Amino acid sequence: MTDGLEKYGLDLHCTMILEEYRGNLAVFGKMMEVAREVLNRNISANGIYLNAIESRVKTEKSLAGKLELKGSKYSFLEDITDIVGLRVITFYSDEVDKISAMVDRLFEIDWANSVDKRKMHELDSFGYNSLHYVCRIPKSLYYDPEHPEINSYRLEIQMRTALQHVWATMYHDTGYKSGVEVPREYLRNLNRLAGMMELADEQFSLIRTNINDYRRGVQKLVASGRFDDVPLNGDSFKSYLELKPFDKLVKRIAAINQAEIYEASYLPYLNVFSHFKFKTLGDLDRFIKENSEDAYNLAVYQIGNTDLDIVSSTVAVQNLCVVSILKMKGGAGGLKRMFDILGGSPEYNGKRAERLVETARQLPFMNE
Amino acid sequence: MNVEIRKENAKTFVKLTGRLDTTNADQFQKDIAPLMEEAKPDYEIDCTDMEYTSSQGLRLFLMLQKSVSSKGGSMVMTNMRPQVKEVFDITGFSNIIRIL
Repeated sequence: MTDGLEKYGLDLHCTMILEEYRGNLAVFGKMMEVAREVLNRNISANGIYLNAIESRVKTEKSLAGKLELKGSKYSFLEDITDIVGLRVITFYSDEVDKISAMVDRLFEIDWANSVDKRKMHELDSFGYNSLHYVCRIPKSLYYDPEHPEINSYRLEIQMRTALQHVWATMYHDTGYKSGVEVPREYLRNLNRLAGMMELADEQFSLIRTNINDYRRGVQKLVASGRFDDVPLNGDSFKSYLELKPFDKLVKRIAAINQAEIYEASYLPYLNVFSHFKFKTLGDLDRFIKENSEDAYNLAVYQIGNTDLDIVSSTVAVQNLCVVSILKMKGGAGGLKRMFDILGGSPEYNGKRAERLVETARQLPFMNE
Repeated sequence: MNVEIRKENAKTFVKLTGRLDTTNADQFQKDIAPLMEEAKPDYEIDCTDMEYTSSQGLRLFLMLQKSVSSKGGSMVMTNMRPQVKEVFDITGFSNIIRIL
């Protein structure tokens, strides 16, 4: 049974631990699979977007190395708590706390062997920042009567931010585990970087909080109808779209032929509004009110004598833009610029613009 | 409506000829059914000889576009005659389907 294990040159006690490890590899594989699946499912259900989740079963070679260095510390295989390891890497530092609360809820934590390295530093020291929970898989989460060891062996879950992960990987590269001493000045530089990473993590979280506050503020202003106070941008446009400002016109246009409405994205038109130099949602709101009747009349003229019974929801905003450009005397050049912004072949856009000018000539707004 | 499908390396070329209306929309749907099965769709639909499309045709192009988008693929319609392109333009479909 000890086939090949002698190559590690370990004493009998360590060789027996290694032998037990070999016999339980399938159990460790299952533990890793269960823990990873449970974490993935719960993290996703909580709407947390991770940088990465890593998992591994310690290799025989790595375990032999560990036993060579500190084998006397372990009486049995089950004393080694990191044979199965998972690492959850978040983008934001506050998400590490959310994940740890989740792990606490899902697994049985061995608090005596779990460490929060984030809280271990003195006021004037910086370094490895990560949260390590040693835990067991509770029977309520997974139980196989053929393999009750799945619930008795422990596993380790590390939680850290992406920046902490970068730092830890660099630190690992210095070979701290090998016992080879790295010159003090290099370690000092690495620790200075740890302080910088900690600051950067804090700033990233702060920036996200500020952006969320800003978005909530915009949503409130939009909901209150104070459109002139809201700068037009991607966020405010999305909030404004929740009020369905184009719906009335879309439905009127669809009613011309009792057409089905296909819902499409309005977001490409944000670039057109920017080209129109709209500064606030107020500019956009007035644009809709001032041009709706003419946009409707254009649609009547265009589709009223066809049997087309499906329209895209963007037909309303498209016609609003067309009539606005024509009323502002932008002509075919203005229309072509708009179509170019929205995409398509420039050559065709030019022809389309000229055709539209011809069509619109018949409409009252062109003669006002 | 005649549909010719030709594959060249990873790209599929589709040539449409004739009118697409309610009388032949069902057949057209059957003709393009293999295109819905592609795992990595990359379609160029040549409309040089397509004379007309009805609403039913628009729905089928939309269905194909949705299938392509859901698989992260690409679809472009080329060389449309002005009267056909007009149908896509006035219904707002030019904003949904890539037309060159």
